[in-house]
Amino acid sequence: MRLPCPLCGSRDHREFTYQGAAVMLDRPAPDAGAEAWDSYVHLRDNPAGATRELWYHGAGCGAWLVVARDTVTHAVFGAELARQVRR
Amino acid sequence: MILAGKGRIDRSARLDFRFDGRALSGAPGDTLASALMANGVTLVGRSFKYHRPRGILTAGSEEPNALVTVGQGAHRAPNTRATVQELFDGLEAVSQNRWPSLRWDVLAVNDLAAPFFGAGFYYKTFMWPRRFWKAVYEPAIRRAAGLGALDGGHNPDRYERAFAFCDVLVIGGGPAGLMAALTAARGGADVILCDEAPEPGGRLRFETGEIDGMPGADWAAQVTAELRTMDNVRLMTRTAVTGAHDDGTYGALERVALHLRDPGAAPLECFWRIVARRAVLAAGALERPVAFAGNDRPGVMMAGALRAYVNHWGVAPGRRVAVFGNGDDVARTAHDLAAAGLEVVAAIDSRPDAARGGDWAHHPGSVVCGTAGGRDGLEAVTIRKPGGETIRLACDALAMTGGWNPSVHLACHLGGRPQWDAARAAFVPRPGMVPGMDAVGAAAGDFSTAACLAGGIAAGNAALSALGRAAQAIDAPAAEDAPYAIAPLWSVPGKGRAWLDFQNDVTVKDVLLAAQENYASVEHMKRYTTQGMATDQG
Repeated sequence: MRLPCPLCGSRDHREFTYQGAAVMLDRPAPDAGAEAWDSYVHLRDNPAGATRELWYHGAGCGAWLVVARDTVTHAVFGAELARQVRR
Repeated sequence: MILAGKGRIDRSARLDFRFDGRALSGAPGDTLASALMANGVTLVGRSFKYHRPRGILTAGSEEPNALVTVGQGAHRAPNTRATVQELFDGLEAVSQNRWPSLRWDVLAVNDLAAPFFGAGFYYKTFMWPRRFWKAVYEPAIRRAAGLGALDGGHNPDRYERAFAFCDVLVIGGGPAGLMAALTAARGGADVILCDEAPEPGGRLRFETGEIDGMPGADWAAQVTAELRTMDNVRLMTRTAVTGAHDDGTYGALERVALHLRDPGAAPLECFWRIVARRAVLAAGALERPVAFAGNDRPGVMMAGALRAYVNHWGVAPGRRVAVFGNGDDVARTAHDLAAAGLEVVAAIDSRPDAARGGDWAHHPGSVVCGTAGGRDGLEAVTIRKPGGETIRLACDALAMTGGWNPSVHLACHLGGRPQWDAARAAFVPRPGMVPGMDAVGAAAGDFSTAACLAGGIAAGNAALSALGRAAQAIDAPAAEDAPYAIAPLWSVPGKGRAWLDFQNDVTVKDVLLAAQENYASVEHMKRYTTQGMATDQG
């Protein structure tokens, strides 16, 4: 698998570390309440198909990326810098 | 046996090597297999399960029988294919799976008990008591059945891994691959050409056909020389592409120094990860054996392999040769053998309407139904004429051909399934099985040299246009364009065991038994009979 790093170009997946689903970026406000925090910490979808994931380009530019890909077909649709997605 | 004045390698220089302790000699350019054949060695190994005597069957990486252990101590490499191992001065090889010696193997007694060792024998027999499987049965079976053994020490040799990137990866350097690489390279693309042989050329190195009025091998050498002068081409010889992965990533294993006496600072092998924007699968085709009784006897070999030994290496397994098959390769083989001064005992063609190809005993509509001889090789074959009458013919070797199977393996690596082509009696790749990879030439079922050359140009241009580069106007060189005439012949019915998988000792009867016991799906049949589970994958 190869991931298209917006800063470095197409790179082998061995340069990256997988973190988890990109819903981590949607962190609730500190006072959002127990239900929102419970949902954020514990309740995750586990889709077979299109996903958005966080990958860390540790052996490259060191950026955090949001990678859109399909876990069934292995197709990679694209990647953005996480700091831009978060904004 | 050396055919004086024949072959394309120079036999005036001499390399000394040892096989099972015997001092022998060969020439630069020999493989271990061709050098053994030059020295008249016919028995090279014992089979996996029945310890049957086995000889050299093929001339390439598909070899199931001629597996030897090369090197000594912790350096030793078991299960090395003698047909792939290039000869160097001082090479030490020993045969495997025999005790006390290759000629006198005690466990050949397994062969006498063969009626009890059918498909699923282990599963039906070693069931009780349960704890005996790990403690008693499995260790005993593993000792009796098997291939080479490792030394047990830490391997001190160096191995390496590396990455490479290109626009176009061409897999296989036969006529189709050479043309594809040349076309893509002239169009300015960054090209890697991988070929598993020491020199590109594929079958052109082994056949007598001409391209543009010059011998095919010379034409291949000329194109190779042109590719070597181009800065945008990397020629990787002795490199077998082993896997197709996601996003145009390919695995390839390069035999960097396995052909050298002293590797020096070089690693023995290097595993490459090649990332290519486009790929051309020009891996050629593998010849199929025919399943008839006793088809595993030393001296019975593939017709294409025998042509390679005669035409390229100038050696033969014997003076009197019979040829058996189901297509025009029968006449082609007989012709090459006769031209090399060998006696063509008979050309046996299963097609009733097969044309006589030359001045030799012609047996249309006939099949080989048995072989006779000792552990050192073939002495006679029995053929069955159309009327049912059988004839015994004395001969030293038998060349067999059951047609060709395109090397579709890499095309299937991402889960795609090839399709059956009834006219060619073979599976061929479908388009798009691996994104970005096109199959051409014999790998796509186009077996004539002219079709390979034209297909290579088309694939090179398709890759160029996919990369946004201008197509190149290249005329296909003139070459033979014979139609692929073949009539399916899978097995010859009759008494006696007919081998389907030589390396794992699987016969036609085992497969029928598996089907009878309802292991009818290919995967179940494979697991039950172990067909296709050896190092050569059947």
